[in-house]
Amino acid sequence: MELAVTKLTKRFQDITAVDQVSCRMTAGVYGLLGVNGAGKTTLMRMLCTLLRPTGGTITWEGEDIFAMDGRYRKILGYLPQDFGYYPDFSICDYLMYVASIKGLRPVTAKKRTGQLLELVGLSGMEKKKMKKLSGGMKRRVGIAQAMLNDPKILILDEPTAGLDPNERIRFRNLISELAEERLILLSTHIVSDVAYIASEILLMRSGRICASGTTDELIAAMPERVWSMTVEKDQTEHFMKNYKTVNIKAARDGVELRLLSGQRPTPDSREEAATLEDLFLCYFGEKAGEEDA
Amino acid sequence: MLKFELKKVFSRPGSAIAMGILAVVIGVTCWFATDVYYVDPNGVKQRGPSAVAALREEQKAWAGELDSEKLRQVILANKEIKSSPEYQSEDENEREIAYSRGQGFKDIRDLLNHAFAAGFCDYDYYCADRLSGDMASQFYGRRVSLLKEWLEGEAKEQYTDKEKAFFISRYEKIKTPFYYDYMTGWTRLFDYAPTVVMITLLILGYLVSGIFSGEFSWKSDAVFFTSFHGRKRATAAKTGAGLCLVTGIYLVTMLIYTAIVLLYLGADGWACPIQILFSGWKSFYNISVWQEYLLILAGGYIGCLFTSFLCMWVSAKTRSAVIAVMIPFVLIFIPSFLENIPAPFVGKILGLLPDQLLQMGNVLGYFNIYSLGGTLMDAAPILLTVYAVLAVLLVPWTYRIYRHMEIG
Ligand SMILES: Nc1ncnc2c1ncn2[C@@H]1O[C@H](COP(=O)(O)OP(=O)(O)OP(=O)(O)O)[C@@H](O)[C@H]1O
Ligand SMILES: [Mg+2]
Repeated sequence: MELAVTKLTKRFQDITAVDQVSCRMTAGVYGLLGVNGAGKTTLMRMLCTLLRPTGGTITWEGEDIFAMDGRYRKILGYLPQDFGYYPDFSICDYLMYVASIKGLRPVTAKKRTGQLLELVGLSGMEKKKMKKLSGGMKRRVGIAQAMLNDPKILILDEPTAGLDPNERIRFRNLISELAEERLILLSTHIVSDVAYIASEILLMRSGRICASGTTDELIAAMPERVWSMTVEKDQTEHFMKNYKTVNIKAARDGVELRLLSGQRPTPDSREEAATLEDLFLCYFGEKAGEEDA
Repeated sequence: MLKFELKKVFSRPGSAIAMGILAVVIGVTCWFATDVYYVDPNGVKQRGPSAVAALREEQKAWAGELDSEKLRQVILANKEIKSSPEYQSEDENEREIAYSRGQGFKDIRDLLNHAFAAGFCDYDYYCADRLSGDMASQFYGRRVSLLKEWLEGEAKEQYTDKEKAFFISRYEKIKTPFYYDYMTGWTRLFDYAPTVVMITLLILGYLVSGIFSGEFSWKSDAVFFTSFHGRKRATAAKTGAGLCLVTGIYLVTMLIYTAIVLLYLGADGWACPIQILFSGWKSFYNISVWQEYLLILAGGYIGCLFTSFLCMWVSAKTRSAVIAVMIPFVLIFIPSFLENIPAPFVGKILGLLPDQLLQMGNVLGYFNIYSLGGTLMDAAPILLTVYAVLAVLLVPWTYRIYRHMEIG
């Protein structure tokens, strides 16, 4: 089981949305992390054969996915970022329709639909019209839809957007359960989503994968270290301008700062253990002073 | 899949309204088409089923071969009415009484007006009144001689010698005398058929315009195109849904319309030549009334099919239902703009535009003829074949667009 991406590039007129991306994925959960406009959606659309790359190749088990055509789509499940549906269909109709275009036989489709609705916590609501669902419920139907054909490759574009904390936890557990014998690629801006479940994290920036590895590997390889210190209130601005600041908290004797720096910023600052959030800021964060640059 | 595609069509907000409009317009059209009046011997206008029965009875009395003897009788009967005191009277009611006596043969009288008009393109309502009984024998001869006169005069430049000979031979080939029968049912049916076909087409255009663009406006495209059948069977199901809609809605509409009009007015005269219809007198298509009906039915169907498939193609290509829904309007109304261009070839082109299919009854009355590899062909079979083929060709083309669709 291997999905290999080689020098994948996608240009839209003057924008290069995905730039020479190469990576290999096997069974497991991959978290694609990046700011808005990093190119996550574009990369995923190419992996789903929705977009033809400008350059580079994508292969599944050594075979070009565009040449595989239907055979590839048979093992693919995709939840798009802006997930659309047929407003007047009930949940059941919708899932049965998607099942039919995914090539499931009606008997199998009925069974799968029941199981999946149970799994995403929507059983008993089959007859509800899609347009009457809340945002989070729609997303859950979206996840169910992607899972219908029991795909080997599951691509989820911001699956947790709009889910409440309970649902988010449920979702993480669900993904972990599903991850066996499956390749799951999910994109998000929410660091905690991937921190728990992703076996490998891909950091994407301006169309490139700028770092990848497990959480620990990435933290170990972080180019900056994390420091915390307490400073006078009027000094805060100075630090925010010159360092990537993770956190600011008012304390009794001034302001407590958590920031990133290659060297110890002040003699009395303490080095802290880095988290994934620090990592995110390290790669994607800006110093307050850079904002207009 | 097909079931769900149809469900998608009818889940669009306007679809129920569109079907409602269709039902209302068909209802109104049927009402107009069946609104026949009969003037009773007292000069009172009657409507409703009994009026239809009375009119039918009067006209049935004249049914039979339209030979010189019968035509002579019509001419004489007409003369008698025209010289009656009731006809000459100033009183409205008296004149209605006079009219009531001629209802039985008024359709035959119309044919006399055609046959004995001053020229091929003229029509004079009072012409029949000036005829004498022994002129009846010239009836069929006049039909051909007027045509010849027209072809040598007014239309001299319009047709080649070969085409002229073609028209004349068609005119001469027709079997005379014509068989006449009561045929108000068919006349009315044919008169309003284009209205029914056109409204059906506009409604169909609306319904099918969303089949291919809907995935984009609903943003369900990503799921659709990443599914196993998305770029193949599911796309075919869309075309299938279009075909089902066109076939189902068109046939049901036409069947209801035909059934209402013919059940109410009667289907007598189905075997008569179309030349005994007021609109068919000049036609060079030597067919009978039921054949004209089939042509109208087939023409309308192929017209709807072609236009709907074109709509679907545009909707797949532009991803916009709004642009697609305008296609039927464009196809119907463009010809009326072109008509104003006074070039000879414009007429030839107009005769082959798809809107002609919606009014096959009129096509049968036009002198449109085309030369294909040396042989002359009349417009009707060309229209039917060309647009049937084009409709079929649009299917794989639309399929290809969807098959290679990119979602960016
Ligand atoms: N169809 C398109 N035409 C032109 N430019 C596009 C198109 N789709 C995406 N882009 C551009 O490509 C870049 C990457 O977009 P993409 O949607 O892949 O980002 P993303 O990482 O998914 O962002 P987000 O977190 O906001 O979803 C953006 O600059 C965007 O403007
Ligand atoms: Mg995105």
